[in-house]
Amino acid sequence: MFSLRSCCVTHSILSHRLTLRTSLILPPLFLSLFPPKPISLQPLYSPKPNPNPRTMSSRPSAFDALMSGARAAASKKKPPTSSSPKKRKNPEPKTPLQNPTHPQAPIDEEAPPSNSNSNSNSNSKPSEEPQVSNGSEKDHPDTDPEPSGDTLAVKKPRLINADESIALLKKKPANFDPKSAAFWNDGERVPFMFLVKVFDAIDKESGRIAITEIVCNMLRTVISTTPDDLLPVVYLLANKIAPAHEGVELGIGDASIIKALAEACGAKESQIKSKYQALGDLGLVAKASRSSQSLMRRPEPLTVAKVFGTFRLIAKESGKDSQEKKKNHIKGLLVAATDCEPQYLIRLLQSKLRIGLAEQTLLAALGQAAVYAEKDSSPPAHIDSPFEEAAKIVKQVYSVIPVYDKIVPALITGGVWNLSKTCSFTPGVPIGPMLSKPTKGVSEILDKFQDMEFTCEYKYDGERAQIHYLENGSVEIYSRNAERNTGKFPDVVVAVSRLKKPSITSFVLDCELVAYDREKRKILPFQTLTTRARKNVAMSDIKVEVCIFAFDILYLNGQQLMQEQLNVRREHLYKSFEEDPGYFQFATAIISNDLEEIQKFLEIAVDSSCEGLIIKTLSKDATYEPSKRSNNWLKLKKDYMESIGDSLDLVPIGAFHGRGKRTGVYGAFLLACYDGSNEEYQSICKIGTGFSEVVLEERSSSLRSKVIPKPKPYYRYGDSLKPDVWFEPTEVWEVKAADLTISPVHRAAIGIVDPNKGISLRFPRLVRVREDKPPEQASSSEMVAEMYSSQKNNQRNNQDDNEED
Amino acid sequence: MLELRLVQGSLLKKVMEAIKDLVNDANFDCSATGFSLQAMDSSHVALVALLLRSEGFEHYRCDRNMSMGMNLGNMSKMLKCAGNDDIITIKADDGSDTVTFMFESPTQDKIADFEMKLMDIDSEHLGIPEAEYHAIVRMPSAEFARICKDLSSIGDTVVISVTKEGVKFSTRGDIGTANVVCRQNTTVDKPEESTIIEMNEPVSLTFALRYMNSFTKATPLSNTVTISLSSELPVVVEYKIAEMGYIRFYLAPKIEEDEDETKA
Repeated sequence: MFSLRSCCVTHSILSHRLTLRTSLILPPLFLSLFPPKPISLQPLYSPKPNPNPRTMSSRPSAFDALMSGARAAASKKKPPTSSSPKKRKNPEPKTPLQNPTHPQAPIDEEAPPSNSNSNSNSNSKPSEEPQVSNGSEKDHPDTDPEPSGDTLAVKKPRLINADESIALLKKKPANFDPKSAAFWNDGERVPFMFLVKVFDAIDKESGRIAITEIVCNMLRTVISTTPDDLLPVVYLLANKIAPAHEGVELGIGDASIIKALAEACGAKESQIKSKYQALGDLGLVAKASRSSQSLMRRPEPLTVAKVFGTFRLIAKESGKDSQEKKKNHIKGLLVAATDCEPQYLIRLLQSKLRIGLAEQTLLAALGQAAVYAEKDSSPPAHIDSPFEEAAKIVKQVYSVIPVYDKIVPALITGGVWNLSKTCSFTPGVPIGPMLSKPTKGVSEILDKFQDMEFTCEYKYDGERAQIHYLENGSVEIYSRNAERNTGKFPDVVVAVSRLKKPSITSFVLDCELVAYDREKRKILPFQTLTTRARKNVAMSDIKVEVCIFAFDILYLNGQQLMQEQLNVRREHLYKSFEEDPGYFQFATAIISNDLEEIQKFLEIAVDSSCEGLIIKTLSKDATYEPSKRSNNWLKLKKDYMESIGDSLDLVPIGAFHGRGKRTGVYGAFLLACYDGSNEEYQSICKIGTGFSEVVLEERSSSLRSKVIPKPKPYYRYGDSLKPDVWFEPTEVWEVKAADLTISPVHRAAIGIVDPNKGISLRFPRLVRVREDKPPEQASSSEMVAEMYSSQKNNQRNNQDDNEED
Repeated sequence: MLELRLVQGSLLKKVMEAIKDLVNDANFDCSATGFSLQAMDSSHVALVALLLRSEGFEHYRCDRNMSMGMNLGNMSKMLKCAGNDDIITIKADDGSDTVTFMFESPTQDKIADFEMKLMDIDSEHLGIPEAEYHAIVRMPSAEFARICKDLSSIGDTVVISVTKEGVKFSTRGDIGTANVVCRQNTTVDKPEESTIIEMNEPVSLTFALRYMNSFTKATPLSNTVTISLSSELPVVVEYKIAEMGYIRFYLAPKIEEDEDETKA
């Protein structure tokens, strides 16, 4: 028996050589939790040292060692097949069209070992062959990235490695051959490694166009090889496991992940935790954790389908021991993960992918990929730029039916040009609610809606809700974020069923649910509404009554109304329901274009405890635009005069310890807005006013549990800002300010208004905590920039006015 | 058609207790030679191999080879319903997706049928070759269980080293260290209380105690345990099941953490 030590020496020598060749790629591999699958144990036993590069970076699997005698014997006879029980590729190892016709295919495993250049590699080829996909360390100097066209018709002569594949994905879509980047065969499950490498490429890319191209090329590759896997690929790219309204969640906390990680790499939990403290990102911890535990056998490389399937299993686990079962699922994935897979696996599990891939970009890429995929059927004649049009179609369809399970299969079978027909609004599936743009004054509204008929409605201060009433009499209520809220409002379910006219068999209502005092006939503040229980509310337990204020109807008796103008929709709305004060009312509205009248209406609205007004176009450009912050809906809040037009929703990311009277609580907080395109939080101001003692106490204690040792890598803030503590982005606060200024310290909207300076708020004060918003939906930097520039315009106008005076 | 009648039903219960925490789901393979199981834990670190030979059953009928995927937790729940003296019969029809456990009380006055759904489990069967080991230790199983339990209150890993002097179990933790040495001892009255060490070469390996402790759940099955070690091979912890077969646990060793240079 050969001593292991002697082999190790050979290995380390070789690893040096290899490191030189692929120096950029190897280091992460050494750090990876689990190195790629070392099927072959021949190096341990074979008579001549076998320089298999794979085993160098990896731990020998102990069980393989046990079996190596038998294996070595077998593999001498039929090299390519004996080493792995489940082969991943190449069921027919011999094709007539091999080496002779393709001099550029030196990696072909059938190649005779005469090629002295890659001789050392070809020795290990048999055992390595099943894992080509993992082979980031494999490097062949003479590989040609593009197989010539004729080879595709027959069979791929060779399979490229993952990094070559990613290099190909970066080509312009027009020059990209979708088959070229696949390092697996048609019909085989897409390796998870492919997705992870794409994540990595996207992460390093900052331009939206470049990202769209990579994603588009990637999706084309999947469509052309394994269309069945497109759905899981899209879901993982979106970092979702199911449509939002289904309420399916992975339900795993950091603690479970830490446990799984510790067990998977044989470390102590405390070790993982201290690394987490140091690195601040469990994904990086996973990447940096080397296993100290050898394995009985390397698990099969992960596939996208396997990962996604396991995620759904994790989400399904419930009840007793479910955390334990979830942990075991995670462990199973982690053990099989190699290279940079663990890092992204963890981030996916945390639902914090943060690679700068916005969902809108994904949708655009999906549309474009579909256009390429159906080259044969040309787009309808009237379309000039098919790619933009396709992206628009997919985005539009997604806003109406945000369910990839419907869209993706429809794209593959029916094509993108039919998508609007094959995949349309379905009652019971929430539509993205139409949103309004902030404005600063009545005059601005008259400006924007010149010569248009428009209407003003009260803007109620409650919870936006979309109520679906289906043919079978069932009712669902969805929140602003498409979450199912039916269990929270059983009284609303009863009210709409009672107050719809008998002829109405189905509808989708857009409305605001507002806390209401029926005795005093008064609208109660939003804060009262937040005291309601959130889940499984029983009618008898309801203490806070709500009134439904309906303002739009999107679907009625089997008919879609979204494409109708608002005046038509409103008519349908008024005809279909009975009002019952305190239970169901139509939003108070007037139609006027008289400045005085609107001003007065605004004051009445504010007096009736509303936030302000929403002004909507009525008969022209007045269709319902799902998920859009449309120019056709403007909001006018009551305090536009005293400060900047709208309040901002900001995320506390850090705080300063309080002194004096505020000892023991935080004295001031650092707030940030969210930049969706870079997926980062940009500091915007410090805030210390607007807190009552009680609120300050509450906020301090709630955030104290969210303290993290160091700022997240995706926090942007000035160097001179040194908060005493940093927080996880968890809360969203509504904040008012006097105005916006350019700031050298803060980083909000940096690069938009000024290349090196951000925007900050002057005299910010807390209005309330927005419990209905996740931090990602905080005010965006674009919005901050827009507010800043419109404020500047206004000031200039005012100055002009003054000068004229 | 499959029908296996096991008079000492408690044995099956003990087997389940020994493996159910290590493995969630596993395929039971039935052939003319016996009833067997092979499965890895979810992190692919440990493997359990069980064999109950056909001769050990009072009645053994297996018309054709069958593989039955079972959730061990559920199976254990059902077997818990059997009395310790009950006779257990396992029955399954060809192609059926259920298995039936029948429990008969020794006096034959109570018969219980439990039917359990089978599941599809894709697992690969590994051929386990016989290997020569550097050292083989046989010792009382209770003693081994005690050592593992004691050491795990100090540390997470155990170093098992076999030298001429005997077998040493050692661990290290935040609060200190612990070493237990067992010497060869064949002078006791009862053979099952002896400790026998066969050694070709000295060997020293590190293992996660968590798994060892899980293996010792099989202690009730046998008075002695055999630990076979070779450097760079998985350790085998074997509990013989009298007249029937064995349950063997394979555990891959931990890797000494001394290679910081690879991080550079």
